[in-house]
Amino acid sequence: MIKGKCWVADDYVMAYDIIIQEYWTSAIDPEENSKWVMAGVKEEFNKENAFKDQGFTFIVAAHNFAGGGKSIEHVITGLMGSGIQAVFATSFARLQFRNAINYGLPFVTCDDIDKGCETGDELEYNPETGIINNITKGTSFQSVPAAPFVAEVGAAGGLMNYVREKIAKGEPIE
Amino acid sequence: MGMTITEKIMARNSGRDHVVPGELVWTDVHTVMTMDYLGKTCFDKFRSLGKTEVFNKDRVICVSDHLVPPPNQKFATMLNEWREVVKQHDITNFYDLGRQGIAHQIMVEQGHVLPGTISIGTDSHANTYGAVGAVGNAIGVTDAAVAMATGKAWFRIPKTVKFHVTGKWQPWVMAKDLSLHIMGMMNWNGHLLYKSIEFTGPAIESLSMAGRMTLCNMTVDLGAKNGIIAPDAITQRYLKDRAIGDWDMIASDEDAEYDQVYTIDISDLGPTVAMPGKLDDTVPVEKLIGTKFNKAFVGTCTNGRLEDIATIAKILRGKQVHRDVNMILVPASQTVYLQALREGYIETLIEAGVAVDTPSCAACAGIHTGVAGDGDIVLSAGNRNMTGRMGSKKAEIYLTSPSVVAASALTAVVTDPRTLSV
Repeated sequence: MIKGKCWVADDYVMAYDIIIQEYWTSAIDPEENSKWVMAGVKEEFNKENAFKDQGFTFIVAAHNFAGGGKSIEHVITGLMGSGIQAVFATSFARLQFRNAINYGLPFVTCDDIDKGCETGDELEYNPETGIINNITKGTSFQSVPAAPFVAEVGAAGGLMNYVREKIAKGEPIE
Repeated sequence: MGMTITEKIMARNSGRDHVVPGELVWTDVHTVMTMDYLGKTCFDKFRSLGKTEVFNKDRVICVSDHLVPPPNQKFATMLNEWREVVKQHDITNFYDLGRQGIAHQIMVEQGHVLPGTISIGTDSHANTYGAVGAVGNAIGVTDAAVAMATGKAWFRIPKTVKFHVTGKWQPWVMAKDLSLHIMGMMNWNGHLLYKSIEFTGPAIESLSMAGRMTLCNMTVDLGAKNGIIAPDAITQRYLKDRAIGDWDMIASDEDAEYDQVYTIDISDLGPTVAMPGKLDDTVPVEKLIGTKFNKAFVGTCTNGRLEDIATIAKILRGKQVHRDVNMILVPASQTVYLQALREGYIETLIEAGVAVDTPSCAACAGIHTGVAGDGDIVLSAGNRNMTGRMGSKKAEIYLTSPSVVAASALTAVVTDPRTLSV
């Protein structure tokens, strides 16, 4: 069970705005990438550690979260480094959906979630059942549970660990 | 039940007879591409998996494209580290400055993608490879590192959406116009997220490889997993002296199941423009006639090929780019550049007042040659127009085809190439 407060996007959030151009060529590192994460999304986040210092655990968004077509993993490590433990949206852009799976950060698809939460609401997420409770508002949402492979990669702490273990044990990848 | 071409490729490369959408498979990858600013991280991550040798030295393709030639010390140092790591792993195919090009152009033009196989790359426009009937997929450095170690990647089998395109192309209308038209038509409704897009029909069969690359290239911007065109005689001719390895004429089964089929008649399709900020906010060129701009850009993995250059040279031959416009051409690769030079296009363009730069991603990603500054209005034949994409957040980017860019460069206002006397 994961518990914490959420930030609700008021518009379409692009990967480009989560990590802005000047940081695309930085090292992929949660600590480093989280300093300026979300800098392009809102002017108030365009200061060092501005988003991170808010202490959000979840992001709630509408359609095509992290779209716009950037495959850089800084987007995911930046969110993770700032304390985000799950993102709930009505849909996700595929490049970052894939990266999130590979890092074990739950990108959770949930209809109508964007209409049922406000920034600062306290949420509770059960990864096993997919149930998201909005404690502040006393409402509940059923999200799409993670596919078995996604859960397995998540449990291993990401694709790198998952594959590293298989290679070390000499197990086939199939 | 039959399978679509993408399903067949996924089945074939995961050792199965049959796959259905939604299934998760590990497939063999034919080639893995990475490039300058992410490449070192790929190799570092690859070694952290406990491996020292890549799965196949001939099939990890390394390209310098985003940072070359280095415009500043930071990029120069990154390139030095990149060269060192490529050398250390004894990679056969390294397209560094001097032999460079935009990675996706290099992958297709140098024969590193083959019909019926899967190639992945650490840049979002890897969808381009579908032009030859391959599954081209954009991935992050983690997937690249895993593939470099194992020769494999995981995929969820996507549903396929078919665009069946009929009719006859109007003069000066290009594959880019069809791409932008589809953007506008789909209106970012999310329907194409995670899907495979297959292009079929007489208007696709008549397209050259350059046009097919443009079309497949921009499927990533529709949210799709891949875009693909089945190989045919044009593919065969194109690959004859390039393909490294064997391939066959793979195609969708007649009874393949599609998530959706759209039919487009391009006979009425004219030059199309995406308005600044959003790709799906498209209009016919007629609506913008007379709109002022001050920068013109032709290049990128979307429109920097020989045919694109031939088109703009035909329009600008014997004429002059308007004095209020700065026009830049960046050929997609050294091979394209040399061909354009031999054909006389480069001479024509320089005489017309076009600046030609050495192949790179240039200003497309806003980090290299020709970036936009405050107040710039750019007419671009690139692929993205969001605020700040080419540099300043106070610049505006209109996206369109090379023929509209060239016709408009003559007048400094948006111009319909069909009204020119060429």
